[in-house]
Amino acid sequence: MTTISREATPEGDNIKGPHQLHSDLHEIWGNPRGLQALTIVNHTTLGLRFMVTGMVFFLIGGLLAMLVRTQLALPDQDFMSPDIYNQVTTMHGTVMMFLFAIPMLEGLAIYMIPKMIGARDLVCPRLTSLGYWCYLFGGIILSFSLVLEMAPDSGWFMYTPLSSSEYSPGLGSDFWLLGITFVEISALSAGVELVVSILRTRTQGMALHKMPLFAWYILAMALMIVVGFPPLILGSILLELERAVGMPFFEVAGGGDPILWQHLFWLFGHPEVYIIFLPAAGIVSTLIPVFAGRPIVGYGWVVFAIAVTGFISFGLWVHHMFTVGIPQLAQAFFSAASMLVAVPTAIQVFVWLATLWLGKPKMKLPMLWIMGFLIIFVCGGLTGVMLALVPFNWQVHDTHFVVAHMHYVLVGGMFFPLIAGLYYWLPLFSGRMPSETLGKWGFWLTFLGFNGTFLIMHWTGLLGMPRRVYSYETGMGWDIFNLLSSMSSFIMSAGIAMVLLDFALHFRFGKPAKHNPWNADTLEWANNMPPSAYNFVSLPNVETRHPLWDNPDLPRTMAEGQHSLAVATHGRREMWGTDPITGKVREIIHLPGNSWWPLFAAMALAVVCISLLTRLYPLAGIAVIIAGLFLLRWSWENGSHPKAAPDAEVAPGDPPLHSRTMDGPGLWAMSITLIANGSFFLSYLFGWFYLWTVSPEWRMPETSPLSLVGLILAGVVLAAGAAILEKLVRGLRQGKDAGLAVGMYSISALGFVQVAITLWVLLSADLAVTETAHDAIIMVGLAYALLHGGLGAVLVLLQGLRVGYGYVGAHAPFEPAVVAQWWRYNLVTFWILVGALAVLPRVIGS
Amino acid sequence: MATLMQRLHLTHPLHFVIGLTLWCIWFVAVYGGHAVACSVAPPAPEQGVFTLVSAMLLAVSIAAIALLAALTVGCCRMAKRQVGRLRFNASVSAGLYLFSTLGVVFAAMPIIGIPPCL
Amino acid sequence: MRHTIQRLTLQRVNSLGITLALLAGLLLTGCAGDKSILDPAGQAARDVVMIWWVMLGFGTVVLVLVTAFWLYTFKRKEVTRTPADERKIARRWIIGGGIVLPVASITALLAFGVPTGQRLLPLPLADPPEVIEVIGHQWWWEVRYPGAEGGEVVTANQLIMPAGEPVDFHVTGADVIHAFWVPRLGGKIDMVPGRVNKIRLEADEPAVFGAQCAEFCGAQHAQMQLYVEAVERDDYETWLAARQTEQLAALAVNDQQHDSAREAFMTHCASCHRVAGLSSGREGPDLSDLGSRTSLGAGIMAMEEGAVTRWLQHHQDLKPGNKMPPHDDIETATLESLGAWLETLTP
Repeated sequence: MTTISREATPEGDNIKGPHQLHSDLHEIWGNPRGLQALTIVNHTTLGLRFMVTGMVFFLIGGLLAMLVRTQLALPDQDFMSPDIYNQVTTMHGTVMMFLFAIPMLEGLAIYMIPKMIGARDLVCPRLTSLGYWCYLFGGIILSFSLVLEMAPDSGWFMYTPLSSSEYSPGLGSDFWLLGITFVEISALSAGVELVVSILRTRTQGMALHKMPLFAWYILAMALMIVVGFPPLILGSILLELERAVGMPFFEVAGGGDPILWQHLFWLFGHPEVYIIFLPAAGIVSTLIPVFAGRPIVGYGWVVFAIAVTGFISFGLWVHHMFTVGIPQLAQAFFSAASMLVAVPTAIQVFVWLATLWLGKPKMKLPMLWIMGFLIIFVCGGLTGVMLALVPFNWQVHDTHFVVAHMHYVLVGGMFFPLIAGLYYWLPLFSGRMPSETLGKWGFWLTFLGFNGTFLIMHWTGLLGMPRRVYSYETGMGWDIFNLLSSMSSFIMSAGIAMVLLDFALHFRFGKPAKHNPWNADTLEWANNMPPSAYNFVSLPNVETRHPLWDNPDLPRTMAEGQHSLAVATHGRREMWGTDPITGKVREIIHLPGNSWWPLFAAMALAVVCISLLTRLYPLAGIAVIIAGLFLLRWSWENGSHPKAAPDAEVAPGDPPLHSRTMDGPGLWAMSITLIANGSFFLSYLFGWFYLWTVSPEWRMPETSPLSLVGLILAGVVLAAGAAILEKLVRGLRQGKDAGLAVGMYSISALGFVQVAITLWVLLSADLAVTETAHDAIIMVGLAYALLHGGLGAVLVLLQGLRVGYGYVGAHAPFEPAVVAQWWRYNLVTFWILVGALAVLPRVIGS
Repeated sequence: MATLMQRLHLTHPLHFVIGLTLWCIWFVAVYGGHAVACSVAPPAPEQGVFTLVSAMLLAVSIAAIALLAALTVGCCRMAKRQVGRLRFNASVSAGLYLFSTLGVVFAAMPIIGIPPCL
Repeated sequence: MRHTIQRLTLQRVNSLGITLALLAGLLLTGCAGDKSILDPAGQAARDVVMIWWVMLGFGTVVLVLVTAFWLYTFKRKEVTRTPADERKIARRWIIGGGIVLPVASITALLAFGVPTGQRLLPLPLADPPEVIEVIGHQWWWEVRYPGAEGGEVVTANQLIMPAGEPVDFHVTGADVIHAFWVPRLGGKIDMVPGRVNKIRLEADEPAVFGAQCAEFCGAQHAQMQLYVEAVERDDYETWLAARQTEQLAALAVNDQQHDSAREAFMTHCASCHRVAGLSSGREGPDLSDLGSRTSLGAGIMAMEEGAVTRWLQHHQDLKPGNKMPPHDDIETATLESLGAWLETLTP
């Protein structure tokens, strides 16, 4: 197991020439054409699809922005009716945030991360594909509401009660809630697999502290998605339940509280800003050293800043709510925390400055955009600190000042670095160079247009112009500034059009790029341009932060197959599974090939979404079951299934396949998924305790309606099942699989018994879910328990079947360990639920 | 104390997240505890800052500061003794613990100056 | 006064071109709009403007310096340094700019900023301040004066407050979340259904200020406006006294020439609108003293002769989507008589 033993030697398999190796690998990894292209799971293809789709939604969002600026150009305009205007502004925000910014950056990360860390694909390729389809279908459904003139119109933040069925009776809010939740499946799946990929699939030798900074940024972004999105998913589910069924979570009369929605929304919404900013800052930290021609100074400082930003951003959400009437002291906590986030941001700005200072920076086209980023973002950061100050916030909150600030942060902090990054990586995408002239024109028009639009808007806000008004009367002193803003916004869109034109034209007319055209240091430039589906012919041992600077010959030797895993005759898609900290090789990960199941599952989910919109609930139920069946069928093709890795043979000296160990990346994927699940669960508990303590008209019955005996019995049965599962997994760890199938079946039976008891408790509680928020939220908690119990039982049942088929056993012991995590999680959350919903109310009373 | 610090494996990258997680837990505890205290038993506004609520919030904050400061010192010492990867991990952790400590100090400052529950 | 300045500015636009207009815009209209934060008329708002100018100055310096340093790195001559020197220089930049600068700035900001916020808090005072309740509806304002001598006074879409003394506003929302904001007096506060939020504002001297709903509240959020008039204490008392129920009731019924209008009111309007002495509807704004208000439709049109009739006829064009049903089924003559009568309700 030494390093050398895995490096190919001329006498080995790799006596084949590079071309033969390429066609061997291409045979296995290459993309199919025609209808089969829908089955592609490859990260390069899907990353590009994400980015192109994101750009299309960007154009839609941009068009909506132009409509807004046209309406506001002059006072008292009736270019759009108030109704349409509100739909347009709501959709502008929604499309830009959910359908452009996040998917675009995810797409870039999906494309770039495996290439940067020396892997051949992301670790859950089918999940990438599911994510893409969910994004596409969700985005189409949401945008379609515009065509129907039924778009959501209560603002992209959907504050209740304005978005509730009483004040928004149309389908608009439903489009938003269902469409966004659908799109969030995509964000979460990308989040999970990016975390696991970065931690477990870096190439041999790439220790955590040697990985490219971009990977650190994406790691933080992905973890933030995993923790930050579930609160909004919970909020959306609750609000949709309120709208569809009448459960009064946010309705004061029923004991709910509209402010709960704001908490759940901003618990997501603030981290979201940094979810967008961090990858963009990652682009900056990648480009600056390349164009300064020296390593970044203070790599450790940047890691520090990333970690601080990631965490502190979860402690800021209330600064969007300073005016809702929260006690002054609580506001002060959030005010202080909001200002603290200036520290890591300033550290990064000065790390970049010091790197330029100590290097020999060159002002190439990507650097021009980085300069634009710096000016705009620092300005946005400064107004951000101002806004964190409560008294100032009380004045300018919900005025055009905030609109200006937010665009400085988001356009400056995301769009400018994104364009810089796209210009930088264009040669990699296409093998061609962009046009400097067109690019420069595009930059200057965008930069000047942007500042013309939004710098002035600060002033309009200070003159008292509120946000989200469809019109304003003349005589307030706002006219000239609005006109200038609107004119500049059209200059900006001309600039962006020019940039996009440059992108489009370069694929056809760009000069062919030479290898590593910017003289960069990171592994993605060791790819072919454009890259092959498998990225690298052989996977190198990388123990430096700058592999291509320290060894300029690396791309050639990699392409010649002089490094590891250059064999493809076994027919598997293989790459390294490495230790998350040291980067030592642990196992060979074999990846699944192209598959229809992600597309089918996403289509079934789209049917769920549409049938919920049209209130065809029986159809929605059927589609949920079908989607579940597709997903389970997908999971069937794992381990030693004929379509996965029936043959476990590896080259002498190589580590085993991950499915033959107890340590595959699936364990990590399950853990990360459970973190997301846990965030959802904590948000639920927050909702329960929040309504209990804060809601103005909360009503709690004298005695809890839930049968404590029943719940404890269910909990004990669940614990018994989990204990047997643990014992079986321990046995597998020691290579024993006697009685595995029977064991699995009996655990599954226990699981179903627990579900039945819990269901009985729920039904016998006789909850009036449309009457009180108390009963409604208890209902949601028990539904959560039922869903988790039921899924756990089904998964174990399938494991029993797989043992029978010979896909699981002592020879392939991996999957039961994954399922055991689910059971552990379920056991813990079930008992917490029992404690919170049934025990505490009995102890404390109402 | 020294053996305790030994047991914590201060060179493990998990310490990148522990300090800030503690900061978050402190933050949620103080924010949540404050909200509950103010809805259950709000002190009279005339009392100013000299209330039981403020005292309890302050006590929790001081405990958090002490814990985080101890971990900062531990990581600093560890960083000096190591090289390479382990030194990198320990010193980044030390920085993050220090930031978390000061983060608690900074965000807890208003407890001294502002009457709760207004 | 404001309009004079406005007109002056517009003339300059015509005569001196865009550059001057911009300058004039900044200097004149910039600070003269009746919702301008930069034209404070109370101490709380004045403190915030002060803080703003200081922050703007400091922020500009930081932005210019950082940008200048960045640009300079592209111009300066190459220097060869030892790695130790490089580390020292880098550390200076990072610690100086990344830690000392932000920490010092935010500490200073908090130290100055937090005390400023105290002024808006309803802290206990030796002399309890006047309380005015404001309730946001889609899309109009209900205003109540619980402290009026002789009993609570209820009105809508106009707010009279005593000048030169602190006034506590207790606000809430009747349907969705709105926000109460008088920019020239101080910060805003949300009007949340089920909760009562409090904010303390003070006007230096008698004047009229613009106010605006600041939280997005649906189709007519833009046209949910209000004029706040600060008056001397004596005038305030007089104004309240004239709006006691008995006075208003007497005003509504004591002449005979409007009998048919009153009848039409009882048929078409009474279930939603209150006119003291006649009806007690609460769905729509109270109309008992409508004629005395300066504006109609929640601050969107001036009250002048015939305005009420025009509003009654065209309100769905003037404020599309407002909750009052269209009056197409009512004869013009009836609407005219209703309008004429409502305009006489001037206590």
